[in-house]
Amino acid sequence: MSGISVKELYKTYKGSAEPTLKGLTFQFGEGRIAGLLGPNGAGKTTTISILCGIVRGDSGEVKIHGLKQQASHRETIKHIIGIVPQQIALYPQLSAVENLTYFGNLYGFKGKALQEKIMHYLELFGLEKSAHKEIHKYSGGMKRRANIIAAILHDPKLLVLDEPTAGVDVQSRSMILQFLRDYNRQGASILYTSHLLEEAQSLCEEVVIMDEGRMIVQGNPLTLIHQHPDCNNLEDVFLHFTGNALRD
Amino acid sequence: MLRLLATIRKEWQLLLRDKTGIILLFVMPVVLITVMALIQDAPFKDYQDVKFDILTVDNDHGRLGRYVKEGLASGGQFNIIDSLEGKPVTAERAKELVNDGRYKISIIIPEGATASIVSNANRIVNDITHRMGMSVSLPVKKVPDSLNVTIYFDPAAKKAFKGAIHQSVDNFLTQVETDMLLDRIKHQLRSKDSTVSDTDTLAIRLQAVGLKEQSTGSGKQLDVISNSVQHNVPAWSIFAMFFIVIPIAGNMIREREDGSLLRMKLIPGSYLAILAGKMLFFVGVCVLQFYLMMLVGIYVLPLLDLPQLVMGQHPGATLLVAGGIGLAATAYGILIGTVFKTPNQALNFGAISIVILSAIGGIWIPLEVMPAKMQLLGHLSPLSWGLDAINDIYLRNGDIEFVWKNVLRLILTGLAMLAIAGWVEKRRMN
Repeated sequence: MSGISVKELYKTYKGSAEPTLKGLTFQFGEGRIAGLLGPNGAGKTTTISILCGIVRGDSGEVKIHGLKQQASHRETIKHIIGIVPQQIALYPQLSAVENLTYFGNLYGFKGKALQEKIMHYLELFGLEKSAHKEIHKYSGGMKRRANIIAAILHDPKLLVLDEPTAGVDVQSRSMILQFLRDYNRQGASILYTSHLLEEAQSLCEEVVIMDEGRMIVQGNPLTLIHQHPDCNNLEDVFLHFTGNALRD
Repeated sequence: MLRLLATIRKEWQLLLRDKTGIILLFVMPVVLITVMALIQDAPFKDYQDVKFDILTVDNDHGRLGRYVKEGLASGGQFNIIDSLEGKPVTAERAKELVNDGRYKISIIIPEGATASIVSNANRIVNDITHRMGMSVSLPVKKVPDSLNVTIYFDPAAKKAFKGAIHQSVDNFLTQVETDMLLDRIKHQLRSKDSTVSDTDTLAIRLQAVGLKEQSTGSGKQLDVISNSVQHNVPAWSIFAMFFIVIPIAGNMIREREDGSLLRMKLIPGSYLAILAGKMLFFVGVCVLQFYLMMLVGIYVLPLLDLPQLVMGQHPGATLLVAGGIGLAATAYGILIGTVFKTPNQALNFGAISIVILSAIGGIWIPLEVMPAKMQLLGHLSPLSWGLDAINDIYLRNGDIEFVWKNVLRLILTGLAMLAIAGWVEKRRMN
């Protein structure tokens, strides 16, 4: 079964003349680590927002773990998906424990079970000593790690990460990527966006390169590199398909 | 329920960490109501509570001058000043001092005023007795005088103040003239009927119908007047409660900007429970603010020589009104936080709109003293609904039956604002 299936997806925001998505189509298998790559303005964030059910597509079909993204399945899909937004979606004035307790409560978890789970993840991400420190006192890497914990409290089968390693040091990045591999080994699907193509090449089993609201190419990073003899790495493949023109 | 309670606890934790927010929500309003009650104390006091120095120049040295001075002094409202630095005040000096603003009023009683009144009374008595066939001739001036008691007002004096003084002096003049006339009539009646001794008094009652002030309320009566504290404490409390839009709007925009809103919307279950928790918390804060400020009105303001706040006899109705105001204010904050994209936009619009709504809503000055068109406009302000309801309870001894319409207006307006906010948010996402 496919983890994520997107068919002929179109989206034009109100007040915008240009469609953001123009018949986007791709598919990722369940239990894989997939990368959604593209230059700025390619439509990655809109795609993720539609996958999560926050934004509705104008037409086309989106399926998550076999469930069509529509009103009747929205709540079930919310249980399946965990999202790590690009921003640190935590309350800076609250400690990690307070933040995670709040989001855990929203998922319906409470009491000792929730606190044990929070402490387990804080230890896993090396944040146990800073558990009661306010988030605004954390370093960039610590904030990113806490941001991931908030997304996995309900053990999602599909973890969607929007540039999870942007602006973090090497140690934090290494820890985050190792966690994603481990989490994937436990059976979860991972969809990840990044501008760090070297990282994507090493992490992802499959990537979709999209531009101007369409899928340009999809495949295993190494396969894509071999298919294009002039390309030595995923970044070369990316530039081969999207060009060198600036996208400001 | 867990989502609702968790949200209330989270908002509580956030508030506790936000020292500036706590000051803005609780300390600033206390300072505001104290300052406003103090500076508006004098304008709110009735004229009988305020004592003015009144320069009196008595060129008459007769009964009128004495009556006017005694009458003005007896009310306790005026200090009669008829000499300065040991010298009697002259008309020119009095005019100069009032014009300089050093005194608010001066009254000049012209020379021969009493004699002129006596002559006029004699003329009337002569006329009456002549028509009755009696031959009495009291002395009168051949040509009636045309004298005026002159009043000088400070150019900055208010119209209502001038009117009140005019009325008082006019009453004294009428009283002296009436007394003189009655004196003359009694004197003539005594001389006609020799059996009446000089010590007998003739009772002539002029006033057949008097004035009696009664309270309009029913049941237990309140002896409360709208003074500075009774107006300013509830009025500025409502103003301060509405200022909660600033932290709420900031909170909403921050949650949207940092992605927490997105995270909350992605969590299974209704976002309404989270919103309800947020609303309940902020309505609670508003109600807490309200009662804190009422306590200031009851216990702190009297220490500053201000009247004590009287909260009426219907605490249930008061709580209901405070909750209604809190709901409308919280919903307004959510609306502003949804509509505006940056905290700066929300802060500016929120603050200015509340100042405007409060100005037209009778917070600064009571609606009754505004022009008719402004009163109509003012009745559209949610702040005026809140203040009307509080006044109904505090001043008119009203209960829930008195205030339910205004509370319903506040609740419906709050729900309408939430619906608009929901619509705007949905539109934004798409």
